[in-house]
Amino acid sequence: MSTLERLWWIALGIAGAALLIMIGLIVARLILGWTGRAREEERRRLIPILLGARPPTRLGRSARGDLLAELSIELIQLVRGSDRARFVDAATRMGVPERLRHQLNSGSTRVRLSAAEALAEFPDEASVERLVAALGDSNAAVRLSAALSLASTGKAPPARALVGRLGIGTTENSLLTVSLFREIAARKPEEIRGLILDPSVPSGAKAAAIEALSASGDYSLVPLVTTLAVTCDSADEALPRYLSALGDFAHPAAEPAVKRGLGSPSWEVRAAAAEAAGRIGLVRLAAHLRERLGDREWWVRFRAGEALARMGEEGAALLRRSAAGATEPARSAAALTMAERGLA
Amino acid sequence: MSWWQSWGLWAAETIVLLVIATGLLQTFFYIVQLVFAGAALGRRPPIARASILWRRYADEAPGIALLAPAFNEEVNIVESVNSLLALHYPDFEVIVINDGSKDRTLETIVGHFGLERVERYHDLHVKHQPIRGLYATPRLPRLLVVDKENGGKSDALNAGMNVARALLFCSMDADSLLEPDALLRAVRPFVEEPRKTLAVGGTIRIANGSRIEEGQVVDMRLPTNFLALVQIIEYLRAFLMARLALSSMQALTVISGAFGIFQRQAALEVGGYSHGTVGEDMELVIKLHRLWREKKEPYRIDFIPEPVCWTEVPESLKVLGRQRARWQRGALETFFRHKKMLFNPRYGRVGFLGFGHILIVDVVGPLVEVLGYFLVPLLWGLGLLSIDYLLAFLAVTFTLGIFVSAATLILEEVELRRFPNARDLAIVTAVAVAENFGYRQLANFWRIRGWWQFLRKKQGWGTMTRKGFAAT
Repeated sequence: MSTLERLWWIALGIAGAALLIMIGLIVARLILGWTGRAREEERRRLIPILLGARPPTRLGRSARGDLLAELSIELIQLVRGSDRARFVDAATRMGVPERLRHQLNSGSTRVRLSAAEALAEFPDEASVERLVAALGDSNAAVRLSAALSLASTGKAPPARALVGRLGIGTTENSLLTVSLFREIAARKPEEIRGLILDPSVPSGAKAAAIEALSASGDYSLVPLVTTLAVTCDSADEALPRYLSALGDFAHPAAEPAVKRGLGSPSWEVRAAAAEAAGRIGLVRLAAHLRERLGDREWWVRFRAGEALARMGEEGAALLRRSAAGATEPARSAAALTMAERGLA
Repeated sequence: MSWWQSWGLWAAETIVLLVIATGLLQTFFYIVQLVFAGAALGRRPPIARASILWRRYADEAPGIALLAPAFNEEVNIVESVNSLLALHYPDFEVIVINDGSKDRTLETIVGHFGLERVERYHDLHVKHQPIRGLYATPRLPRLLVVDKENGGKSDALNAGMNVARALLFCSMDADSLLEPDALLRAVRPFVEEPRKTLAVGGTIRIANGSRIEEGQVVDMRLPTNFLALVQIIEYLRAFLMARLALSSMQALTVISGAFGIFQRQAALEVGGYSHGTVGEDMELVIKLHRLWREKKEPYRIDFIPEPVCWTEVPESLKVLGRQRARWQRGALETFFRHKKMLFNPRYGRVGFLGFGHILIVDVVGPLVEVLGYFLVPLLWGLGLLSIDYLLAFLAVTFTLGIFVSAATLILEEVELRRFPNARDLAIVTAVAVAENFGYRQLANFWRIRGWWQFLRKKQGWGTMTRKGFAAT
């Protein structure tokens, strides 16, 4: 048989095999259609058990166990208060946490991820232990989900340890790390505060910690963050986030950081500083903001105009002066900001 | 045998071997893509319900400006805007760009939503036709209408990009139907890697035949039109196999114009959408790759397999042929505009895998395959080739074509199971076989037409006749 003829037969073979598999899948789907109905029936049967209307039974590692786990999580996430506690209790007695812990050993990332998220509802000792072990999972999303679940039950390891294990600020840059720190800060604010003070913590993790605390109203953090923003490298990627958090605190003690930021070579820093100046109401920096109306970057001009518009009559007067006398692009920035805000 | 006969025989065999080798290379590419796509599907996160996604992302999700270009959309504009405003996402604004419509698109939208002319300080970074006015109302703070002079879709998107104030923008077609949680799903890579992620594409599904109510697909059904059915298989191959695989290799070269989320600042940095090309969506993605590779900065351009958007596909040969010729032209324009990236180590995987894919599948593929359709039977008929050559040619064009389509369907069924029942699955399997006999050849003919138009430097979109998404 020649190579070309062999190619013909191989192609025929693999195409035939693919079609046979497809036919098998169609048949499987037909069967699934029937079992799908049975699954629906099973769901209907399980709901009263979870509602406490019927006594719970222990589960094996059967398909029914997966269904019950899935259904329990759906119901638990739907309700709050005593109903939620009742669902959690029924699901626990039926062995749902045990099944979820088992799923954390699955070879499928998707299954492990679901299990790590769902275990947030079951703060028992064995589940916490398993979630702590999942902080060493090979997949970053599973590790972060396990940390979020632990944090939501108040059983997270110390924040500094989490930073190291998850690589927060180095390999793990998800915005969900802010949610993670916020959850931890709700119970242990000192741990998150400790991250800001710790010089060994990467700046990305510090920024997430600062953002997590920025809505706390703890003004004692302002000098700390200001110092960080004043002393860090002007090219530090976390600097706009520091400034943005200072804007959230809206405390005038942030002025040195904002002033430095307005003169930064990075437009992202200048824009964040201009925005913070407006939110804090740093009228003393109004002249600097007016300069920034002529910035080469639109975001900076926009934020500077916005900040001046927030500063009452003093800011409006500067905008008016720029709209009348400045050169482009400052003139347009000022005129259009006033027009947009009804200050013209 | 005289020398010229031997030479002729050698030439015939060489050409046909070249045709067969190209076909094999294409199939090899597809098999590699299937493996990568399978692995990527295995790694994807579970499909969470919208309420869970909302809870997870509510505090951290970056703002998104939805850019909806509209040209002569008077009939559907209100329904489209209402469905966009009803999307589930914590922080978004809808920017409708009336691209110099000749009908009453602007009056309809302004009148219906009670909009008034407003001023807004906006960027002028990318070039576009002049903006005639901006319209908004305090009652609907998420809605802004940009009225501008006509300049085409890319021009309208550039205007929207300039006016947008969100960190991200989502480009879409005026008649794209977005899933209510499309933004929540597609934003995931931007949440996971906020600095590195430049763009994200999502799976586009075909809405022909499905029941649509108030801008939402409420009952997914297969179309009855054969051409629309064939395009289901084509879209599966394009999205589930090729884009997912290329994305997992970090060599994705196109994000569909029907739905894509981009980092606004990155898109501005590369000059926004290019004018003078019909493949502006591919062009933007390639420009992002190019600049970030040249800057030597780490970045990601991702694709998510979850369906985020529905679109109507052409059901007539004439319109489909025009669309395919245009797509071919767009791919060629982008390929030749950035040809220095091909196999250039400076551009890493994009240069080798992304551009290699375009070269094999879009540039050389249709030419060689059509050449094969003419030459192989002719040379075999003249007795210049043995039957083995004919069989090998049939293997690479028909049999392996069936294999690739069937394998994609297997991937879809095993990993996603989105076809509602066994009957639909059986129908699409039959279509996956049937498309190789007639449709595939026709599609290649359309692509040759695209090649011809490219060589003649033809510009413009032609007329895209759509049936529209009235409730069906």
